Amino acid sequence: MEGGFFYRQKNLMRSTNKIPLQRASNAALASLLNLTLLPVLGFAYLIFTFKKTDPDGIDRYHTILGIKINIIAATVLLVVSGLMIFFGGFDSPWTWVYVISYFTIVHTVFIVFAIWALVRAWSGEKLRSSFTKT
Amino acid sequence: MKYESQGVAKLYFIAAIGLFVGQILFGVIMGVQYISGDFLFPEIPFNVARMVHTNLLIVWLLFGFMGSAYYLVPEESERELFSPFLAKLMFWVFLVAGALTILGYLLVPYATLAEITMNDLLPTMGREFLEQPTITKIGIVIVALSFLFNIGMTILTGRKTVITLVLLTGLAGLAVFFLFSFYNPDNLILDKYFWWFVVHLWVEGVWELIMASLLAYVLIKVTGVDREVIEKWLYIIIAMALISGLVGTGHHFFWIGTPDYWQWLGSIFSALEPIPFFMMTLFAFNVVNKRRRDHPNKAAVLWALGTAVMAFLGAGVWGFLHTLAPVNYYTHGTQITAAHGHMAFYGAYVMVVLTMISYSMPIMRGHKASNERAQVFEMWSFWLMTVSMVFITLFLTGAGILQVYLQRYSEAPLGFMVTQDKLAIFYIMREVAGLVFLAGLIVYILSFFVKGKEVEVI
Amino acid sequence: MRETFTKGMARNIYYGGGVFFFLVLIGLTVDTVVSLPKTDNSENLTEQVAAGKRLWERNDCIGCHTLLGEGAYFAPELGNVYTRFGESTEAIKGFIKSRPKNGIPNRRSMPQFNFTDEELEALAQFLKYSDGIKTARDWPPNIQG
Repeated sequence: MEGGFFYRQKNLMRSTNKIPLQRASNAALASLLNLTLLPVLGFAYLIFTFKKTDPDGIDRYHTILGIKINIIAATVLLVVSGLMIFFGGFDSPWTWVYVISYFTIVHTVFIVFAIWALVRAWSGEKLRSSFTKT
Repeated sequence: MKYESQGVAKLYFIAAIGLFVGQILFGVIMGVQYISGDFLFPEIPFNVARMVHTNLLIVWLLFGFMGSAYYLVPEESERELFSPFLAKLMFWVFLVAGALTILGYLLVPYATLAEITMNDLLPTMGREFLEQPTITKIGIVIVALSFLFNIGMTILTGRKTVITLVLLTGLAGLAVFFLFSFYNPDNLILDKYFWWFVVHLWVEGVWELIMASLLAYVLIKVTGVDREVIEKWLYIIIAMALISGLVGTGHHFFWIGTPDYWQWLGSIFSALEPIPFFMMTLFAFNVVNKRRRDHPNKAAVLWALGTAVMAFLGAGVWGFLHTLAPVNYYTHGTQITAAHGHMAFYGAYVMVVLTMISYSMPIMRGHKASNERAQVFEMWSFWLMTVSMVFITLFLTGAGILQVYLQRYSEAPLGFMVTQDKLAIFYIMREVAGLVFLAGLIVYILSFFVKGKEVEVI
Repeated sequence: MRETFTKGMARNIYYGGGVFFFLVLIGLTVDTVVSLPKTDNSENLTEQVAAGKRLWERNDCIGCHTLLGEGAYFAPELGNVYTRFGESTEAIKGFIKSRPKNGIPNRRSMPQFNFTDEELEALAQFLKYSDGIKTARDWPPNIQG
């Protein structure tokens, strides 16, 4: 796992410690991967890494964020799509009109959100930061 | 504006926006024709409206790319444009040629246009997106070569940056691949095969180089992030664009009589095509997050982020949706393709040109950024156009899925026109979304005229 | 890795990858062009068919129809129209000839092109030739196109 691929160490503003930052980056990447290429595996990594994180650290923050995003995404995508199929019926074209359009657009929204979370993790920040840049 | 000759870009951008309006008006007309088939028939048949719609898009994007290059290159190269006169001359040549072509489409039957322009000497007309009379195509080549010469001389005699070199590669590729438009063999498969060398290698090849370099330029300017970082991203993005996109051309060679191996190659490589767009989103978010300053032109930052996200959505996600051969077997040539085409062109190319215009136009008008009120207008137009384009895409996707099911997938497939009647509700909703898009475009144009307290003069 | 992945490496991936896959595309193109005679129905590509293709282009048929799935999506697929019309060029010609000049109220309609008999025949032969192209998996999926 290489989270901060393009991350430049000298721009580091927050955590002076490298390891939590690395863990936060990895967690955010795992979250993004779970949403895209490696479903389940990414989530397993997040659960596995959770214990190692510092309760007050940025790594814990991004691990929890990743877990939350993915639980919400799983619910919103799989459960709602499942309900659509259940109530719409497998053989109705309208079921697939709704399921495919819905799944594609909502899935993408989650991916874009996870990308933003990842770049925040790279810079050692939470989603919302209290300080502004000059 | 650091160099006076950057100002020629203004002409190009004004023409681009004007043609953009024409494109959308004809889009709205076609939207009505999808609902009420005889609208404007036989004066403006659907195929004529479509030609105008797509050709105006291509022409105004080319104006946008050229304008962007004329603005960006002197500043990057740290010298005046090689020949501002040639840039202005070619502007008028291209505008007149473009206008005459569009008028030709509208005023005489297409077959008559072919006859007047002596298409029989070198038949190139009547193929999708390449409908221009042969003489117009020759004009496009002349304009493109003069433009490349002008830009090339400026770049090669000035400071060379990664951005200008990538841009030059992209523009040269654009000119070279257009030459395939003159090859029109009788053999239908050969014709189709090499037609994609223009169309695919433009929009999923060299145009991505142009887009990435324009985006990188604006991001350097508005975020102040170190050039080294941005150039590294730029290289890796366009590397992925070419690695996936060149053999990815194969996703067009599934069902046109070409060998079966294209189903594997086309599926695998085009499945990678979302990667460069995904990386563009990551890149844009990352450098905006790491910005060293808050640029007063918030609208430009919004467009830059917007183009990255929407290109990923339209070109990446909606492309992937129907690119695998087993899926494409059912979706090929349905409204799914139309859905993807609309959002991909808007997200990647329309928005990147609007990003460049948004960043540079205020500077050419003497301010670092537009006044606050004008920016509010511009951002409203961003949301109106972008959200309505998302809905246009969703409605066409819905229409496409239903079409695929009824006409292709079903045990008892319905005929084309019977199916079309069942899609009416989607076409109505699409037209409503299209009208909202037009409203957004009007707001966009108004944003150039809105007065307010000006930000710092430069 | 982040410190060791330099701009130079990114540039090399771009040039190396770009050139390599461009060469791959050229190689595949050569192979495709060489193997086309197996599928392209060129044995039936007569002068008349070529004339039909010119007519097809000169009237911008692709602006409404698809041909082997490419074109506009406003009117039916024509890559298999010969089969759909009962393998009858007469039926195709009859359809084209019978289009009302002023359209059909509220409906989509093909324009009346006023083709000569010779032109109609060429166009029908072109569509017959297109139908004879051997597409993978015999695309389109069914007769409706």
